[in-house]
Amino acid sequence: MTIQIELRGVNKHYGSFHALKDIDLSIAEGTFVALVGPSGCGKSTLLRSLAGLEKISTGDLKIAGQQMNGVPPRKRDVAMVFQSYALYPHMTVEENLTYSLRIRGVAKAQAKKAAAEVAATTGLSHLLGRYPRELSGGQRQRVAMSRAIIRHPKAFLFDEPLSNLDAALRVHMRKEIRALHDRLHATSVYVTHDQIEAMTMADHVVVMRDGIIEQQGKPLDLYDAPVNKFVAGFIGSPAMNFIPAMVGDDGKTLALDLGTVRGILTVDRTLQPGRKITVGIRPEHIGIAEAGQGSFDVPVAVVESTGFTAFITAATTPELIVVETGRSTVRPGDMVGVRISSDQLHLFDDATGVRV
Amino acid sequence: MNGTTRDRLMLAIAIVMAAIYLFPLYWMYVTTLKSGSEVFATPPSFWPASPQWSTYAFVWESRNMGRYLWNSLVIAFGSVALISVLGVGCAYVLARYRNAWVDVGLFLILMLQVLPASLMITPIFVGFSQLGMLEYPRLAVIIAIAAKSMPFFVVLVRATFMSVPQELEEAALVDGNSRIGAFFSIVLPLARNGILVSALLIFMQAFGEFVYSKSIIQAAELQPASVGLNSFMGPNTNEWNNIMAYATMYVTPILAIFVLLQRRIVSGLTSGALK
Repeated sequence: MTIQIELRGVNKHYGSFHALKDIDLSIAEGTFVALVGPSGCGKSTLLRSLAGLEKISTGDLKIAGQQMNGVPPRKRDVAMVFQSYALYPHMTVEENLTYSLRIRGVAKAQAKKAAAEVAATTGLSHLLGRYPRELSGGQRQRVAMSRAIIRHPKAFLFDEPLSNLDAALRVHMRKEIRALHDRLHATSVYVTHDQIEAMTMADHVVVMRDGIIEQQGKPLDLYDAPVNKFVAGFIGSPAMNFIPAMVGDDGKTLALDLGTVRGILTVDRTLQPGRKITVGIRPEHIGIAEAGQGSFDVPVAVVESTGFTAFITAATTPELIVVETGRSTVRPGDMVGVRISSDQLHLFDDATGVRV
Repeated sequence: MNGTTRDRLMLAIAIVMAAIYLFPLYWMYVTTLKSGSEVFATPPSFWPASPQWSTYAFVWESRNMGRYLWNSLVIAFGSVALISVLGVGCAYVLARYRNAWVDVGLFLILMLQVLPASLMITPIFVGFSQLGMLEYPRLAVIIAIAAKSMPFFVVLVRATFMSVPQELEEAALVDGNSRIGAFFSIVLPLARNGILVSALLIFMQAFGEFVYSKSIIQAAELQPASVGLNSFMGPNTNEWNNIMAYATMYVTPILAIFVLLQRRIVSGLTSGALK
């Protein structure tokens, strides 16, 4: 598999603000990569640098093996889908689609034919004569995608393309974008702040914070083995529970501090006695048992049922959230036991947040 | 007081205010149709006894108005063309770059607008005279008007450019266009309304310009209509009906343009002219 996009030691400064810090990233041809992180983490800056809309300060940026550092956007042969879609308001859908072809000097008839072909695959055939203002949000989204597809670019860049759609349409478009990617065997870089989008769509997820890559890998690898507390808390929904704890004298037990509740868990390895640890447990990895039957007992504060699952919040500090599949018999005020298996614990250093 | 009564009261006040505001205009039109003695009648008549339509033809012929209006048009179109060509680029740069120097530039541009023409004319006259520009008086006036009105145009057009989302330009860049290409194919068409409205306002200003024309243009055959109107005035002026007929023929076309395009002008100024 050849490398389509390669970044080596990329830095970006805006005046005194250091937006990207020593970014190393290789994207293989045909993969779908999601850049995910909270706002201000540098993911959009990274994407705009790939497009050539931002100039990187130092480092190397290669697309299809060619050095692209100072190359203007028009010579990079990448297509971008913007958050606001950025459809040209004074052009019809057809003119929007053929804009890039017309600039390249493609004959009018040929451009029209290409637009018709792309429109047929994205379900826009009956809308070619309309103006963007006459389209719904989902249709605009499709036009923006089609405008990218028509060019057969070296890479597709998506800048939070679904964030302006309502929830139902977003779920639908998620699948459509992924299907499109598979059909075109394209290289795609997808920026989002929504970890669910990243997890469901991408082959490779890059989690960013404050201009650095915290972790990258396959979605489930990030879910199963987050390298630090930030990634652990960012990936997964509902978010992982974090509980402060201290290693017991034998080095094999953890004393959890849940405010009024104290829990003891055993771990399958030896840790330094007295060390402060943050224990991470995903809500879906905690089982509910009769009081006294689990690892320890907690009082129940809130039970929220969606029919398929129930979210149980324990009255502890910090709150412990448990997801139970199916109908729950637990009521607020009950004392229940929680079952936690030691191989599903994530241990992080209390001070640095790094995985232990 | 309920809503309807209040609305009616407001409407009445608005009509009265508009009537006061527009009375001079009405008086101008009515005076053109009065005979010489009727103009000075006491009490004044609000409607001419026998409308003197021939006044218009007489003034047009005797005052050579065609030539004056032609000169006004030359000066107005020249100023608009010069300002548009120079001002659009300037406004675009000021809209797209934000730093301390741009703020300084904007401040200086607005400062230019503060100085009145009657103050500026002396140095301009002396400067143009030394450069030999007074040989081409209409061109000299066009340049002087352009310098005077450019800030107004730049500030208005800058606001229009700022309302064009930058993402559209970026999309055009990624789609394969150059900066200049993106400007002409995306930004300019979207800012067109705002630019046209600003140009129209400049045109109307330049069409009625007086101070520079009066000072710089000596030859009567090159003077615009505003100076021609002034030439009526003397110590014993009494031909008010002729003066008003001249003024009527001068301003009615501009008024007509304004009334016809009034809605677009207002929306162009307020909303940035696009959505």
